Amino acid sequence: MTRENLLKWAPVLVLIALVLFFSAINPNFLSLRNFARLSIAASPALMVAVGVTFIIVMGSIDLSMEGAVSALAVIFCYMLVWLGGSVAGLGLLAVPATLLLGLGVGAINGLIHVRLRIPSFMSSLAMGFVGTGAAVLMTGGNIVKIDDEVFRALLTYRMLGFPLMAYVALGFLLLAWVIQSYTRLGRNFYAVGGGEDLAHASGVNVKRVRVLGFALAGFFFAVAGLLQVAKLGQAESVTGSNLMFISITSVVVGGVALWGGIGGVWNALVGVLIVSVINNGMIVIGIPDFIQDGLLGVLVIIAVILSTDRRSVAFVK
Amino acid sequence: MNLERLKPHLPWITLALLVVIVSLIDPNFLNPASMLSLAADIVPLFIMALGITFAIYIGGIDLSAQSMANMVTVVATVLLTSMGAWVAVFCVLLGGLFGAFSGFVTTRFYVPSFISTLAVGGVAFSVAQWLSGQRSVSMNAAERDALFGWMISKTAGVPHELMIAAVLLLVCWFIERRTVVGRNLKAIGAGELAAVASGISVARYKTIAFALSGALAALAGLLFAVKLSGGAPSVANGFLLPAIVAVLVGGTPLTGGVGGVVNTMIGTLIVAVIRASMLYLEINATQQQMFFGLILIAAIALTIDRAKLKIVK
Repeated sequence: MTRENLLKWAPVLVLIALVLFFSAINPNFLSLRNFARLSIAASPALMVAVGVTFIIVMGSIDLSMEGAVSALAVIFCYMLVWLGGSVAGLGLLAVPATLLLGLGVGAINGLIHVRLRIPSFMSSLAMGFVGTGAAVLMTGGNIVKIDDEVFRALLTYRMLGFPLMAYVALGFLLLAWVIQSYTRLGRNFYAVGGGEDLAHASGVNVKRVRVLGFALAGFFFAVAGLLQVAKLGQAESVTGSNLMFISITSVVVGGVALWGGIGGVWNALVGVLIVSVINNGMIVIGIPDFIQDGLLGVLVIIAVILSTDRRSVAFVK
Repeated sequence: MNLERLKPHLPWITLALLVVIVSLIDPNFLNPASMLSLAADIVPLFIMALGITFAIYIGGIDLSAQSMANMVTVVATVLLTSMGAWVAVFCVLLGGLFGAFSGFVTTRFYVPSFISTLAVGGVAFSVAQWLSGQRSVSMNAAERDALFGWMISKTAGVPHELMIAAVLLLVCWFIERRTVVGRNLKAIGAGELAAVASGISVARYKTIAFALSGALAALAGLLFAVKLSGGAPSVANGFLLPAIVAVLVGGTPLTGGVGGVVNTMIGTLIVAVIRASMLYLEINATQQQMFFGLILIAAIALTIDRAKLKIVK
């Protein structure tokens, strides 16, 4: 087995090992009910992770997800209430409007990064703070509640034991996979991530690809915002908090290389499952949940170390 | 006078302009007593920013500073009774150790510093939650006053926090300008490959920079815990953004190599004045985030040295 092959399949092996480990300690872990619970926690995180995967494949990073998800969730709730309070009627318009807004927010992120020539981790981090601030400004620090049975069906309606939102997340994952594998834009992400100067030399409009990548990430953050609202029945300025750590951890642990060009949305799925299984499994076998952040931190470092080909890196900041 | 020659002077000009504008809007602003308390309030933030300066000076970043301070508020509170005054030494060593670990991971394993510090921040957050039992803890008031009360008392109307800040600034300035470590940090920030080529042990000095950042973040946490007489795993949240802003508006660019701790002092004062004026305009803390986020973008865009970035990722 070559190093490349091992690295490619390591995340899946880790996932299988974790599942076996937790179910050996507590057989309840393997139950359908537990997996359904796991899928509810994982769906919004998966959408954020998929969004940020495109960016990491380009070799950049987007740290704006917490603010973006909060702000978009809050805006969605206000729009839904304003349009009659139910997605069964006029309120349905709030869904595409939020998704478009997500595209727009992402595009602004990308434009700031590309036009001002600021490293993306800083520009997006700053924009994330702006998003959180905007969410506070809109809500005045309050909670916006949604009591639309039809929209909440994403959480309450079950098919084969799993809530509807798990299927929605899966659907968007497939969409992301199509974009990644069967569109010119998807190919260009890999071209830029594999070697920006080469991509530029072969005629790729790198700046445009970058902006579009960030816009696409914004779109998936909007989906995550919608799922968060469906899950919690409300939106506030902290709706998106903790998503940054979880999603970046997932993407990296799933095997997407921070250097760009390697990995894709399926890695994001495996990564989110690893992180969710750890979170859920620790609760099931009764380990205090505060160890999670530390464990995930260590996992991230190990994942980056393993995925880095140190011969090809000159120096690192 | 072109822009490039004006650039090094922009921070203090900004500060002076801001002070003039704010005092025109709010005449009470120039009252010495209120200015002193304004400056004293910002000291924990300043100490954290001093630390982050070293990380940015070498072209890296330290995103763990806030979690580190959080952790130290808890550690200091929990161990105060059993360790006495040694708890301060312990906290600084702990911060330095965590920082050194970030540096080790970055230099030995080529993990970008924003990821390694984010991860180490996660570890620190776990430790804080574990030690505190996930709630806020408070110090024994008598012990606090006996051991660390001097930190927050006053002499002739001058808060001691300001003296602590001045001493730390002096120490950091000395390290930066008058020691081999400082010279080498500058060399690394100015051009890492050239520094490697000229035989500097880059890995060692980068690790030192992150250790300094961690130790200072720990000191910031300690002072904060003394001020609050307690700690919690998320009590210092909201420090990271203004601390990074302070470093950058002070004139240490994200690309490193120029600027330094004195710049960070000016940057912190700029942040303090902006905060005070926002308080006067009744804009609350979380909404300030939005504003500071925009300032951060502007500050990076203005200061960053694009000649060093062939490709902006």
